[in-house]
Amino acid sequence: MSVLSRRGVRAFAAGTSAFALALATGCGSPPGEEVGGEGESAGLADDPQFVWAVTGADRQIHEDVARLWNEVNPEEQVEVFFLAPTADEQRQAMFQDLQSQAGQFDVLGLDVIWTGEFADFGYIESLEDLRPEISDVSLPGAIDSAQWQQELYALPYSSNGAFLYYRTDLIDEPPTTWDELYETGTEAAEEAGISAYVGQGDQYEGFVVNYLELFWAADGELFDEGQTESLFLEGDAATTALDFMTEAYESGFYAEGFDSMVEDDARALFQAGEAVYMRNWPYAVPLLEGQEGEESEVAEDFAVAPLPTFDGEGSTSALGGLNNAVSTLSENKELAREFVLWAATDPDAQAILADNSLPPTMLSAYEGAEDPNFEMLRDILTDAHARPPVPGYNSLSLTIQDNLHPAYLGQADAEESLETVDGAADDALEQE
Amino acid sequence: MATIRSAGPPVRKKDERIRRGLGERAMGRIFLAPSFTFMAVIALFPVFYALWMSLYQIRGFRQEFIGIDNYLRALSDPGFYNAVLNTLIFTLASVSLEFVIGLMFALIMHQVFVGRGLARAIILVPWVIPTAVAAQVWRYMFDHNPGFVNGVLNTEINWLRDPAWSMVGIIAADVWKTAPFVALLLLAGLQTIPKDYYEAARVDGAGAIQRFWSITLPLLRPAIVVALLFRTVDALRMFDFAYVFAGYSNSLATLSVYAQRFLVAEPQLGYANALSTVTFVVVMLVGLAFISRMGRHMVGDVARRGEKR
Repeated sequence: MSVLSRRGVRAFAAGTSAFALALATGCGSPPGEEVGGEGESAGLADDPQFVWAVTGADRQIHEDVARLWNEVNPEEQVEVFFLAPTADEQRQAMFQDLQSQAGQFDVLGLDVIWTGEFADFGYIESLEDLRPEISDVSLPGAIDSAQWQQELYALPYSSNGAFLYYRTDLIDEPPTTWDELYETGTEAAEEAGISAYVGQGDQYEGFVVNYLELFWAADGELFDEGQTESLFLEGDAATTALDFMTEAYESGFYAEGFDSMVEDDARALFQAGEAVYMRNWPYAVPLLEGQEGEESEVAEDFAVAPLPTFDGEGSTSALGGLNNAVSTLSENKELAREFVLWAATDPDAQAILADNSLPPTMLSAYEGAEDPNFEMLRDILTDAHARPPVPGYNSLSLTIQDNLHPAYLGQADAEESLETVDGAADDALEQE
Repeated sequence: MATIRSAGPPVRKKDERIRRGLGERAMGRIFLAPSFTFMAVIALFPVFYALWMSLYQIRGFRQEFIGIDNYLRALSDPGFYNAVLNTLIFTLASVSLEFVIGLMFALIMHQVFVGRGLARAIILVPWVIPTAVAAQVWRYMFDHNPGFVNGVLNTEINWLRDPAWSMVGIIAADVWKTAPFVALLLLAGLQTIPKDYYEAARVDGAGAIQRFWSITLPLLRPAIVVALLFRTVDALRMFDFAYVFAGYSNSLATLSVYAQRFLVAEPQLGYANALSTVTFVVVMLVGLAFISRMGRHMVGDVARRGEKR
C-alpha cells in the first residue's frame, strides 16, 4: 500500500511538472503572430449611445479617437469594441453580429476591401448623400475603396501605403524602375553577403498586394471603369508581374523563405541587416529606427522611397486602411452617421492618427508636416491603387493566392494560372 | 397494459417481478429524459440546423431555397475533391504511423524500470500541449527562417510551401502530437493482460516475438480498436495543423479547412454547411463502420468470457 501510494505521488509530481512544462511552452507565442481573441469592450463610456467595432491592432489610436469624441459629445458617448487584430477574425465577428441579427455594433470599421461584400449582403447603409462632405477632403483612393457600383457605403478613416525601404550604406539612390531595383539589389547583396529583397511572399492577402503592386506598376488594371468586366489579361501586365516574381524567386533575388514571409518576418530580417531592400508598410519605420527599446542593426543606415514602376514613371502602391460604415441593424443610425462623418473629416481626430504614424485619409492632415517621410507618404497614397472592393473580392484574392503563388514558385503553369485568375475576376463581379 | 401482460406468460410470480422491473425502467426513462433532451439540444439541433441551412443559398440577409444544389456543386467542385484527397492521405498516413509509434511507446511505458513515472510523463508532454499552439511552434521550426528542421536534418527542403513536403510536415507534427495519446490508450489495454499468460508462454518456450504476436496483439485488440477509432475520426476532422501551416491553400486544405473557407473567407453559408454536412456524414460512416465491424468482436469476446464463467 505504502509502495503504491509513493509511486502515485511520484507519478503525480512527474505529471505536474510535465503539465507546467506544457504550459510554459504554450504561453510563448511565436513572433509575428498576435494571439487572437473574441474581442473586448474598451470600457470608455458609462452610458454609451452606440458601439464602434474596430480592429484590435493599433488599439490605442482608435481608443484616443473615441475618447476625443466622448469629450466633445458627452451626451452621446461611443463605446469601442475591439475585434481581433487579424482581418479574417474581424470580418467573422462582424458577420456573426449581423447574420445572427444581434446588431450590437452600430459603426463598423471595415478593411478597404470589404465594402462591396458588406454592401451586397445588405449589412451596411448607403452613405451616398454624404459624398459632398468628403469628395475634396479625403484621399481619392480611399474614397474609391469605400464605394461599390459608384455608390458610397462607407467613409474613409485610416489609410496605408507601401514604402520601399533601402539600405543607405549599400544603395546611393533609390531605384525608379523594378529592373534597376533588381540589378542594384543583386549586386549590393552579393557584395555585402546578404539577401537582396524581402517582402510579403507567403500565400495570403499580403502576397496578393505584392503581386498587384507589380501588376499596376506594369500599367495593368483589374477592371474597366464601370466594373463590368475583367481586364486582367489585357496587355501584358499580368505576365510581366508574374515573370518578375518567378525570376526573382529562381535567381535568389528574393531572400530565402520569401515564399512563407509575412510583414513582420520581412521586418525582422531587414532590421537585422540581412537585406538590401524591403517592401513594407510604414509601421516598420519607428522599429527600424530603434525606438521603444527595439534593437536595430540598421538604425542609421536606412531610408524609404516610393515603390518603383516598370517604365520609371510615377510610383505605385496598394492602398490599405479602414473605412467606417453604418450597420443596417443599428438602432441609432443618425448618431452613427454623425460619428462616421466626424471620424473622416474632423481635423483633430485625423491628427491623432497622424501623430501615431497611422496614415490619415484627410488630405489636410498631411499639410505642414515636418517629417519628410510623411510628405512622401501623402504622395504615395495619392497615387495609390485601391484593390477593387467588389463583392467577390475575397474569392478573387483566394484564387490569386491558390494559382499565382504556386506559379511563381514554379509549381504550376503560369499561363493556365493567369487564365484562372482572369475567370475569377469576372466571377467576382457577377455576384447576384 | 398491466392486464394484457399478466394474461401472457404462465408463471405469475416471475411476471410480477418483470412488471415491477418495467416500472423501474419507465421511471429510469423519465429520470433520464432531461439529459436526453439536453443532449438533443446540444448535439442534434446543430446537426439538423446545419442540414437545413445547407439547402439554402445565403448571401448576407438574402436567402433563397435551392434544394440540393449545394451538394451538387460540391460534386463538381475540384476544390472539394482536392480536400477529400488531402484528408484521406493525411488520415491514412498519420493514423498508421501513430499506431506503430504509439504501440512502441506503450510497450516501453509498460516495462518496469527506474524513472518509469518520469518517462511516462515525458512521453505524454506533446499530447498536453494545445494543438493550435503546437502547430504554431512546428510551423516556426519548419520555416526557412530560422530553419531549425532543415538545420537538424541538414537539408534544403521547402517544408511550408512545397505541397508534398508540407504534407509530410503536418503528418510528422501530428504524429508527434498524437502518438502519446494512442500510447496511453494502448497502455491501458496492456495493463489488463494478465501476467500469467506471459509466464506460461515463457515456460512453454515462446520467444519474445512470438509472445508479442500470440499474446499481446490479440489481447490488445479491444484497445487497438478504440485507439484507431478515435484517431481516424479525429484525423478526418483535422483542421489546426493544415490551417496554421498553409491557411486555405489547396496544397494542404482538408475537408474542415475547406468548409471553413466558405464559412469565413468566402462567406457562402449554405455551401459551407453542405460541406460540413458531407464531412459529418463521412466521419460518422467511418465511425459506424469501426464500431459495427470490429466492435462486434469486442462484444463477442465479452460474451464468450461470460459463457465460460
